[in-house]
Amino acid sequence: MPEHQEKKVKIRVEHLTKIFDDLTVLDGICFNVYDGELLCIVGPTGCGKTTFLNTLSKLLPATRGNILIDGAEADPKKHNISFVFQESTCMPWRTVRRNVAYGMEVKNFPPEKLAARLDYILELVGLDDCADLYPNQVSASMEQRIAVARAFAVNPDLLMMDEPYGQLDVKLRYYLEDELIRLWQTLRSTVLFVTHNIEEAVYLGSRILVLSNKPTTIKKEVIVDLPRPRNVMDPKFVALRQEVTDLIQWW
Amino acid sequence: MAKAYEAVKVKTPLLLKVLPLASIAAFFLVWQLVIDLGVVPRTMMESPLGVIKLFWVKLHQPNPDGAIWTVHAWTSIKEAFSGYLLSLAVGIPLGLLMGWFNLAEGLARPIFEMLRPIPSIAWIPLTIYWFGIDLSGKVFIITMAGFIPCVINSYYGVKMTNPTLIQMARTYGASDWNIFLNICIPSALPMVFGALQIALATCWTTLVAAELIAADTGLGFLITIGRKLTLPGLVVLGMVSVGLTGAVIGVAIDRLEKKLLAGIRR
Ligand SMILES: Nc1ncnc2c1ncn2[C@@H]1O[C@H](COP(=O)(O)OP(=O)(O)O)[C@@H](O)[C@H]1O
Ligand SMILES: [Mg+2]
Repeated sequence: MPEHQEKKVKIRVEHLTKIFDDLTVLDGICFNVYDGELLCIVGPTGCGKTTFLNTLSKLLPATRGNILIDGAEADPKKHNISFVFQESTCMPWRTVRRNVAYGMEVKNFPPEKLAARLDYILELVGLDDCADLYPNQVSASMEQRIAVARAFAVNPDLLMMDEPYGQLDVKLRYYLEDELIRLWQTLRSTVLFVTHNIEEAVYLGSRILVLSNKPTTIKKEVIVDLPRPRNVMDPKFVALRQEVTDLIQWW
Repeated sequence: MAKAYEAVKVKTPLLLKVLPLASIAAFFLVWQLVIDLGVVPRTMMESPLGVIKLFWVKLHQPNPDGAIWTVHAWTSIKEAFSGYLLSLAVGIPLGLLMGWFNLAEGLARPIFEMLRPIPSIAWIPLTIYWFGIDLSGKVFIITMAGFIPCVINSYYGVKMTNPTLIQMARTYGASDWNIFLNICIPSALPMVFGALQIALATCWTTLVAAELIAADTGLGFLITIGRKLTLPGLVVLGMVSVGLTGAVIGVAIDRLEKKLLAGIRR
């Protein structure tokens, strides 16, 4: 069954608008996120992608609009949301293991369940070898994997990722993208992946929302109906990438 | 790491190892000669050997100040540490809370800013009314002195927390209290340990100032008595004792800090 056809709506975003003083960054954005999909959102740098995720995750108050998770207004204290930031969010005073555990601690996982899930996730992400090291003893890509592991560990209703691999070199990025797909397929979380990198969006997404420039709206929804693992040299892949690239050339 | 450090480490030239020793030796030699040759009369200054001799005598001779050296040192250390520990116990939690909770900052900051510019020794006269010149009065003044750097460092330690870490915790739905305990306090720890050193120095200095004015034992009192009886040897002995004891405590705290922070700094 193609990924985009699982049409149970998990998150409904209605007329989301964000205005900073007199700068309208988000302008009445409406869209749905379907249960278990990997939705990519792509737009040029500065178009408001981070603002968009921060509003979704309630780090920033929205000027207008609703965000409904399973029909109820989104609330980080009630809903299971996790967020992977562009920069490292490792706590330098915690070991890798305890960093990954933090989200589950906040969510009050019972100790036995937490320990079991922690071992499972650490192994799945391949962090079990360095579980007892501290963040400054591992590489930058490892720090992002810790953040990703922490985010998946809570079994989130919605996992938001804000250009998590933007600062890594291409080879590592490919590797981590494959890892992300594997985690997503194994753990069946709903993932919202934001990037300015069109190839990354086409490679990862079940669906892509292409953003326009400020004030940002959704310019087009592109369904990526390519089998996985995807091949970036595949003519269909190239054609889709071209389609999205043309959409983004708004200037 | 260690190897790379070795490679770039600049070797200290032999001259820089020898000269400091020579300079110290010369200092004491000149000091000794100036007194021995009568350039400066003994009523105005004691020689280094004279001070050492006096120290030896004061280890078992309570006259003329009423107590042997160890009693004075112990009194001072006891007072300083009581005040120091009390200032940590009050100042660090207060600073941490002020750094994170608006309620604490809003209520405590104005009062703190009001007390902050008052030098702690300016409290001495009031303290004498309230507590007399015994332990409790001095502990109060020392606490006032040490408390200020504790609050400031802990406050800024929390304020300097990486905002992305706070956002990360918020997206998981962490409570303010959870963020305070799990993110803000660990972030602030290096600054808090800085406060331990600064507060110690402040407490020790303030103690001596307090003893100069109101005391009947203690190293500061030794200095005062020396002055009153025109015994410069006693004054110098008091000064050296204060300096050395303070330095020893400082090194001890530094060691402790390195040990405790090893897990955080790495
Ligand atoms: N807190 C803020 N106050 C005012 N303007 C902001 C704020 N945060 C972001 N912006 C503006 O919103 C726009 C979008 O920023 P951002 O969401 O970071 O873009 P992106 O993540 O797509 O690169 C930028 O023009 C930026 O200057
Ligand atoms: Mg951004």
